[in-house]
Amino acid sequence: MLRAFPHFEETAFLLNIPVSPTSAINDEVQAKLRVYRDDTATAAVKAVGLSKRYGSFDALADLNLSIPAGEVFGLLGPNGAGKTTFIRTLLGFLFPTSGRVLVMGLDPVIDPVRVRKMVSYLPGDARLPREMRGTGVLRFFADMQAQGDLKRSLHIAERLDLDLKRFVGFMSTGMRQKLAIAAVMGSHAPLLILDEPTANLDPTVRGDVLAMVDEARSEGRTVIFSSHVLSEIEDVCNSVAFLRRGRLALQQTLDSLKQRHRIVARIDASQPIEVPHGLRLMVEAISRDGDRVTIDTASDLAPLLSWLQALDLKQMRVEAFGLRAVYDSIHRGGEKDGDKHRQAGEAIE
Amino acid sequence: MIHYVLVRKYAAQSLLLWASCAFALFSFAWVRVWVVSLLDMGQFRTILEQFRDFERFAPIGFDALFTHTGRVGMTFDEPIVILCTVVWCISRGSDVVSGELGRGTLEMVLAQAISRTTLLVSHAVVSIAGLASLAILLWAGIAIGISTTTVTETLPTPSLRIPFTAIEVPLTMAPPETESFLMSERVQWETFATGAFSLFAFGFFLLGLSTMLSSMDRYRWRTVGAVVSIYVFQLVMFGLGKAAEQLAWLRAMSFFNCYRPQKQIAQVVSEGALAPWRFTGGESDAWFGPIVYPLILLVGGIVFYTIAVIVFRRRDLPAPL
Repeated sequence: MLRAFPHFEETAFLLNIPVSPTSAINDEVQAKLRVYRDDTATAAVKAVGLSKRYGSFDALADLNLSIPAGEVFGLLGPNGAGKTTFIRTLLGFLFPTSGRVLVMGLDPVIDPVRVRKMVSYLPGDARLPREMRGTGVLRFFADMQAQGDLKRSLHIAERLDLDLKRFVGFMSTGMRQKLAIAAVMGSHAPLLILDEPTANLDPTVRGDVLAMVDEARSEGRTVIFSSHVLSEIEDVCNSVAFLRRGRLALQQTLDSLKQRHRIVARIDASQPIEVPHGLRLMVEAISRDGDRVTIDTASDLAPLLSWLQALDLKQMRVEAFGLRAVYDSIHRGGEKDGDKHRQAGEAIE
Repeated sequence: MIHYVLVRKYAAQSLLLWASCAFALFSFAWVRVWVVSLLDMGQFRTILEQFRDFERFAPIGFDALFTHTGRVGMTFDEPIVILCTVVWCISRGSDVVSGELGRGTLEMVLAQAISRTTLLVSHAVVSIAGLASLAILLWAGIAIGISTTTVTETLPTPSLRIPFTAIEVPLTMAPPETESFLMSERVQWETFATGAFSLFAFGFFLLGLSTMLSSMDRYRWRTVGAVVSIYVFQLVMFGLGKAAEQLAWLRAMSFFNCYRPQKQIAQVVSEGALAPWRFTGGESDAWFGPIVYPLILLVGGIVFYTIAVIVFRRRDLPAPL
């Protein structure tokens, strides 16, 4: 039965399941494949061992990532982390060196047109035909898109206060960005990929764009939202993935991130700090510097309060562990730090 | 395979260039036919005879030029005709991938539900249709020129040749008589269909070459540079092949050797309307029948287009710079 699963042998290979066309499929193999199949069925995007190499440079390195359907998913990472490479691989613009990615259950390498029928994409640097007027651009993309809707695009343009009579060549950078947003967001495609959608926009329009992203989620659409503006990610995303040097450094839901705290306090330098067995998963990291201690929690703070009280901490300060802190620790930390966060993230999930 | 929205976009995008080339070719062809009527055939012959030593550099033997048809046929080798054709082919061919990549507009177009092949074919349809219409317009310009131009010729005066000398003595002192007639009485516009077809084949080859190089590149300026370099290199090979007997083999390796509209027009005049469309026969020094030469160009263009599709389908598309 499972052999009928699309690309069975490749999938088994990617999941490190030792099967051959003639080998018997035991219960373990079946279980792993079922998990993968169910995950793929519910995931809008599923990357397994995805790598993209340019000479000796790994733009993506063994990336494993699952983006749940119906969510706004944030993609974070410093410049060159692989966010745009990942997005371009999803669209079939780039061919993976190894590994595989499925978009809505389809492989963009095998069937890029069907993938793009379900995707509406806003590039990081959206360039539009300069010889067209705004209305012409919206009409062109509405006609080109499988699920384009000119009325909706025009409505969005009006909402963004855009002058559609102008030629693109005479538009400012911000106006061109608004025009591209109107063209992309007008589509009814179930998956929206927005690469830095609020770049070059004024604060009011940024708010409008974020509201539109929220509306897309409420319509049941999936949004991949790549941005460097952490506050925007915090505002609109359900989950977030941090990429670093082409690898997944951390994937976490925003809800669980909001549960995380950093406790900074003073403690007697000779006093040992031992985390009770039952709380170990809830404490991500403890660092000491003389009589100063920093404790990073991995989840809800409440169960830890009695243990913290027993530690006899002084001058205790509790801070919400925001996206900024996670981003900084991943960005400034090395691979090891990234791995630690990934493990912590997996544990929380 | 063809997306009508893309076709519409590419047509609109190339309209200004096409209109400029079309106007230039049509009006030039018409005016050139009229200019042919202004030159006295006798004077033209005298001038041309001075350059007999350089006849091998001409696309056709001088004798064929001593007719109105031959002189009108020279239109197909005029620099302005070649220039307009080359400009259209290189600019459109180089635009398809490296041009759009350079401008950054390929990103959003190709993010739609179309295959790379569809994009390339839709672009090719517009470029090829544009080229065909340019060739037809050139032919139309010639046809209208022939239909509307009146030629005035000086009739030979009766004379007496003095025996054993080359001296001719006119028998009348009256001014020479002239005769006016419509050029269409001496020149058939249908004769030049083969020239228009050759021009189309020549352009198609260049269009395919430009498209192929564009599909491999990300900078349009580099694509244009590469095509122009190949063009000049082939032209030099062709020129050298004509200039020196020992380098005649170079001529056979140049695609310019396959562009021979004047020879084909001369064949129509000497052997009939179907002569240039035959697979056998033709000139004595030719390796193949007359139709084979434009067909080589057409096949070359098709091969280039096929390579372009294969390369474009397989390559990574870089992000805009």
